[in-house]
Amino acid sequence: MIAYLRQFGTLLGLLVIVVFFAVQLPGTFLTARNLINVSQQISMLAVVAFAMTVVMVMNDFDLSVGSTASLAGVLAAVLFAQGFPVWVGVSAALGIGLVGGVLNGVLVAYLGILPFVATLGTLTVFSGFAFFISGGATIFGRDIPKPFADFSRQGIPLDWLGLAEVKLPYLSLVAVLVLLIVWVLLEHTSYGRRLYAIGGNIEAAHLAGVRVRRLRLSAFAVTGFGAAVAGLMYASRVASANPTQGAGLMLDAIAAVFLGMTMGKEGEPRVLATLVGVLILGILDNGLTQMQVDSYVREMLVGTIVIAAVATSSLGRRG
Amino acid sequence: MTDGLEFSGLTKRYGSATVLSNVSLHLRPGRVHGLMGENGAGKSTLIKLIAGVVPADAMTLRKDGAEIAVTSPADAAAAGFRIIHQELNLVPQLSVAENILLGQPLPRRLGVLVDWPELARRAEAALAELGIDKIDVWQQAGSLGLGDRMLVKIAAALVSHKGEVAPCLYVLDEPTAALAEAEAEKLFSVIARLKARGAAILYVSHRLNEVMRLCDDVSVLRNGQNVMTAEVGHTSRAEIILQMTGRDVADGYPARSARVAGGEVCRVVAVSSPKLRDLDFILHPGEILGICGLDGAGQTEVLRLFLGLERPKSGQVLLQSSPAPRSPAEAWARGVAYVPRERRSEGLMMRMGTRPNALLPHHAGVWARLAPERTWANDLSGQVGLKSAGPEQSVWRLSGGNQQKVVFARALAGNPRLLLLDEPTRGVDVGAKFEIYKLMRDLSDQGCAILLASSDLPELLGMADRVLVLQGGRQSAILDPAGMAPNDLLHALYPATEMS
Repeated sequence: MIAYLRQFGTLLGLLVIVVFFAVQLPGTFLTARNLINVSQQISMLAVVAFAMTVVMVMNDFDLSVGSTASLAGVLAAVLFAQGFPVWVGVSAALGIGLVGGVLNGVLVAYLGILPFVATLGTLTVFSGFAFFISGGATIFGRDIPKPFADFSRQGIPLDWLGLAEVKLPYLSLVAVLVLLIVWVLLEHTSYGRRLYAIGGNIEAAHLAGVRVRRLRLSAFAVTGFGAAVAGLMYASRVASANPTQGAGLMLDAIAAVFLGMTMGKEGEPRVLATLVGVLILGILDNGLTQMQVDSYVREMLVGTIVIAAVATSSLGRRG
Repeated sequence: MTDGLEFSGLTKRYGSATVLSNVSLHLRPGRVHGLMGENGAGKSTLIKLIAGVVPADAMTLRKDGAEIAVTSPADAAAAGFRIIHQELNLVPQLSVAENILLGQPLPRRLGVLVDWPELARRAEAALAELGIDKIDVWQQAGSLGLGDRMLVKIAAALVSHKGEVAPCLYVLDEPTAALAEAEAEKLFSVIARLKARGAAILYVSHRLNEVMRLCDDVSVLRNGQNVMTAEVGHTSRAEIILQMTGRDVADGYPARSARVAGGEVCRVVAVSSPKLRDLDFILHPGEILGICGLDGAGQTEVLRLFLGLERPKSGQVLLQSSPAPRSPAEAWARGVAYVPRERRSEGLMMRMGTRPNALLPHHAGVWARLAPERTWANDLSGQVGLKSAGPEQSVWRLSGGNQQKVVFARALAGNPRLLLLDEPTRGVDVGAKFEIYKLMRDLSDQGCAILLASSDLPELLGMADRVLVLQGGRQSAILDPAGMAPNDLLHALYPATEMS
């Protein structure tokens, strides 16, 4: 019983939150329009959190995802402003995410720097670089091409579901796609099995024939790439780019993975559990905003929930 | 009035499982009492009760006839009990002296400054009482060999606060599990000294030879019950094994049924490396080559030559006539399987199940599918005689012997042509040990060549076709074990200069 409560406590928490808002906000919270809206609001956080799960499976960390996202958005916008076509800006942004991820991977896997230290360093570097190429200014307005900004305003019509007035936003669709890719990668490939082994015992994995350095490098590259995707989504959604807009993503993404880890059998990260973590954070955000709760109070609440969830799950474990 | 310590009615239940049931022990001063039993027999629980770490459901304790209560570690210390645990928990960054006096008020000057010379003096005094003078007390504890660490821990247990009761009981939990034979010898002479000081010693070990040699009395636990207590002189090895396992295990090793084939699996030609010198041998299919030496003589490094982890500076290492693998990944891919020395830190992902642990080196292709993996893991579990609650049960829940079987399942899964074993039966109970010997024998009969590094000399003599002796990293001899006794092999481990 206690074991079940521990494993499914977080899921139960999500249900409690949904019910609470449904009761508090009758007629506005549990509507198709609002839920679709939530899915779009959380899509960027979701993508970063799914990507973060990939490195956290190996017991690693990537603190630089937020500034990678900012950098990717800014780089794309800077290229747009200079008249490059959309595909060039987007490819360059994804490319810089990949390069940043590879850099993290080299530092961590080949130079043996602790992930916390290495990615704290690159966080600063990427952030500085974003300020440098943008001159510290926000790039917006006519500099952002219409097709790029429109991507986040369009979606798939849902009238075949009887929902004529809403569309499933492309951004939500991207998040679902990333979820699917990461899920297949982690749960259904040899690659994923090896990442989990590294997280289980890095020395044992090495001696059992896992090419630890190569895999760690590649996993950081995946995370950097995911962060860049999220950065582009963000830039499209607000139709502008500035060097700090991704900053908030990193802590929330780690919080979401931690919330999810409370559901693992042995406290290991699973990407579907990360989704639950993202939903908790996203729905809280949405509901509390609608209830006009002060955003500072919201932050305190989110922090408390993360600590409470992790604490209860570690209390019951291995006593 | 009886002297010494009388424990009676020791009982401990976890939920519905009775781990210890009405166990009695009489530990007399100046005697070494061996405690044996397979993993899960209740030895660790018994130690925890005596140490006051875990509350007993029932326990009566008389010291020299007077009843006392031990319900906390502080009680145990006050009663004069000293527990030396299996894990070597020294602080590696601190000096030997600081480790010996850890947890005690350090000697002071002017009330605040640590009196370092006094600290060293006290540590040296503690070591001297054990007859140890070769350990520099300023050395970092982490730089000591495993054997010396054990001695430091015993010295730390020896030192007691002023005004406290003198130690009357030492509990040693598997003290030689990590030690080479020669270091074990040092430990035994220390135990003899403790004994001479009039303390009772409870010596918990898997190693029958040690218990037979060292102990005055022996008790055997099986399924939480004391099934036998006797003076060592009045019992026999066969009797103890019978009581431990509850079945008759012949005091022998599975015999070879196939002959060593011709041809070669690997060849080492005049190899020197940072830690090895003058290594030269050929291994034939199906052959078991034992490797022995004092602790740190290079046994592990010989195995690592075939994993690309120990690189030769000169000479050649060949596997199937081509250069040796350059990484563990390449080694596994070429049919080398490795059972590392440290099961927990180098062998297993403790929080994962048998399935991911056993199949890790054998994932081929891009896709991984759960159902076939489970079937495979179940098959392997059957092959190695693993007792677990299924392929997903986390291995930290398994006993030491079963954990080692998981590591063997991993090795077996690839049908290896070369198997590297580093202390494969360390910390494994007698029953599981013989099952592991059988697995080794089966593999060797099928033509798998085996390098067996071990500090268990009877094991080497029983299993190996030839034994390679290392002295300080140098290959000093390759011996034929036929007709050899453990003592002969032990002599071969020491450099000739130390013999006379």
